[in-house]
Amino acid sequence: MGREFVNIASACTSEQCRQGLAHKTAMRWIDAHGNRREYTFNDLEAESNRFANLLATLGIGSGDIFFTFLPKMPEQFFVFLGILKTRAICGTLFSNFGEDALLDRLGDSGAVGIITRKSLYRKIARIREKLPSLKHVILVDGDDDASAGIIGYARAMAGMPTDYAVHPTSPDTPSVLHYTSGSTGKPKGVLHRHGSLAGQMATARDVLGLTADDVYWCTADQGWVTGTSYGIIGPWSLGVTQVQYGGGYDAQAWMDLLAKERVTVWYSAPTALRMLMRDDEGIFRSADLAKLRAVFSVGEPLNPEVISWSRRVLKHDIYDTWFQTETGAIMISNRPGLDIRPGSMGKPCDGIEAAVLDDAGNRLSDGEQGSLCLKAGWPSMFVTYLGNESAYRSKFRIDWYYTGDTARRDSDGYFWFMGRSDDVINTAGHLISPFEVESALLEVAEVAESGVIGVPDDLLFEKVVAFVHLHGRYQPDKELEIKIRLHVANRASSIATPQEIIFCDGIPKNKSGKIMRRVLKARYLGTDAGDTSTLEI
Amino acid sequence: MSMATMNTLTQIFRLVFDDDSLQITPDTTANDVDGWDSLSHVNLITTVEAKFTIRFTQKELLRQRNVGDLIADIERKISA
Repeated sequence: MGREFVNIASACTSEQCRQGLAHKTAMRWIDAHGNRREYTFNDLEAESNRFANLLATLGIGSGDIFFTFLPKMPEQFFVFLGILKTRAICGTLFSNFGEDALLDRLGDSGAVGIITRKSLYRKIARIREKLPSLKHVILVDGDDDASAGIIGYARAMAGMPTDYAVHPTSPDTPSVLHYTSGSTGKPKGVLHRHGSLAGQMATARDVLGLTADDVYWCTADQGWVTGTSYGIIGPWSLGVTQVQYGGGYDAQAWMDLLAKERVTVWYSAPTALRMLMRDDEGIFRSADLAKLRAVFSVGEPLNPEVISWSRRVLKHDIYDTWFQTETGAIMISNRPGLDIRPGSMGKPCDGIEAAVLDDAGNRLSDGEQGSLCLKAGWPSMFVTYLGNESAYRSKFRIDWYYTGDTARRDSDGYFWFMGRSDDVINTAGHLISPFEVESALLEVAEVAESGVIGVPDDLLFEKVVAFVHLHGRYQPDKELEIKIRLHVANRASSIATPQEIIFCDGIPKNKSGKIMRRVLKARYLGTDAGDTSTLEI
Repeated sequence: MSMATMNTLTQIFRLVFDDDSLQITPDTTANDVDGWDSLSHVNLITTVEAKFTIRFTQKELLRQRNVGDLIADIERKISA
């Protein structure tokens, strides 16, 4: 691929057509009810061009930020590619985000537009007046409504040409924006660039092993980095046919889909795989997985029990991969050709230098636990946290990127995830900020203060646990517990919902008022809280 | 299926999925409601159990494929 094709969307569409794949199936779309429709690379090219033209008529282009807020559906893909063709930045939002989460992301980014659908727009409508930059709302299933500032997708797209001339796109042109949670403050906008394509393409080819003959299914939602890097960019830039499924988790439906669509490479997540483990084994024994060549996993550490279950029941290994929103592409992985060490993250990918360092940047000996770091400069490395350059710089020391994960390396070069170096919670593969959950909890009138932690969970890897201190005049009961749960789910997101709420008489804080989450964690786990000399209550 | 059960359940769905206009029928499945994922399903079941003062078994939960199955289990339990 020549440097002139650095535009991610062009690489996924125009370049594939140019290479003779115009009539090859790019996307086999299967909706939640099993209805099926195939889209060729030519279809992707035409639909994304039409959307790019629509954006151009709205005056949206280079450097503008445009979000998608859609469940998995064909328009998600056309729009993502169309936005990138205009050299605008595409942000993607998980369709279960609530108003607070949406306001944080749309407000912080200064997004000029969003595409969503009617049933999700109600959340945007409630916050729209707080978003002065958000000038354009397009509804995939709505009609024009000038008074509400809404554009109907079907009407607007109908008149758009299917040709679009993509301007030369340098590798440093900003491309994709995903928000990620930290342990303090609001979520940060992780900005990537078109040059990330090189890393996503290389890892799709060399780690996932994708070739032109594969039928590939990535279960990740496009609201997250896996859904864009490996549910759009990596496979389509290699001309690979992707299955995209609009239904939710269902063991039987998933096995039927793997069999019927003759999926050869499947990329999923540990929580989903652990859910499969809990289902009737008969479902898997009767599934015809003859075409399936490799299964990969990402999101949170894959426990060895899942690998041994898969070997016994699915008759396949599962290769665990590791990356982050900030890394943009797989950095460390188990992969075909490398002996799997169940429970390990695997080894660094080609061109990636990983190390376990102490806080001063010294390399630790094999077996010692420390900060997992990556030598800066890989192609898909994020370029900044949007509007927060100091936070970005704080992630680097000398020329190493500190991932926030802790790990150890064994003498054979395999890396082993040990935990987080901050309070961020990894639940079902999603990073949750305790601060965001605590902020949502404080909006409940009965709640005086709260402290949120992550604790180990058999299914979710970690679950969100909230310690809640009520104002004196309120008593805890089941009704209130439900009110709190639903409030967090609807204001933040379903994934941030506390799985356990513990009512207590006070939240431990230090003298400067910082919540001492390690004390809460020790209290929950029944372990030693360590030094509590600064504890205020 | 009683109207009272259906009405209460509709209110629960609207509360859980934060959508005042949400309509459900016995044929409604998770695929028909935006946001009905495995984690919000836990919220749904917890709320249903609290509002109807019932408790589902793991087996019942695994068997429920749509709203109709959910209603059948609710009505069997409240009439027991």
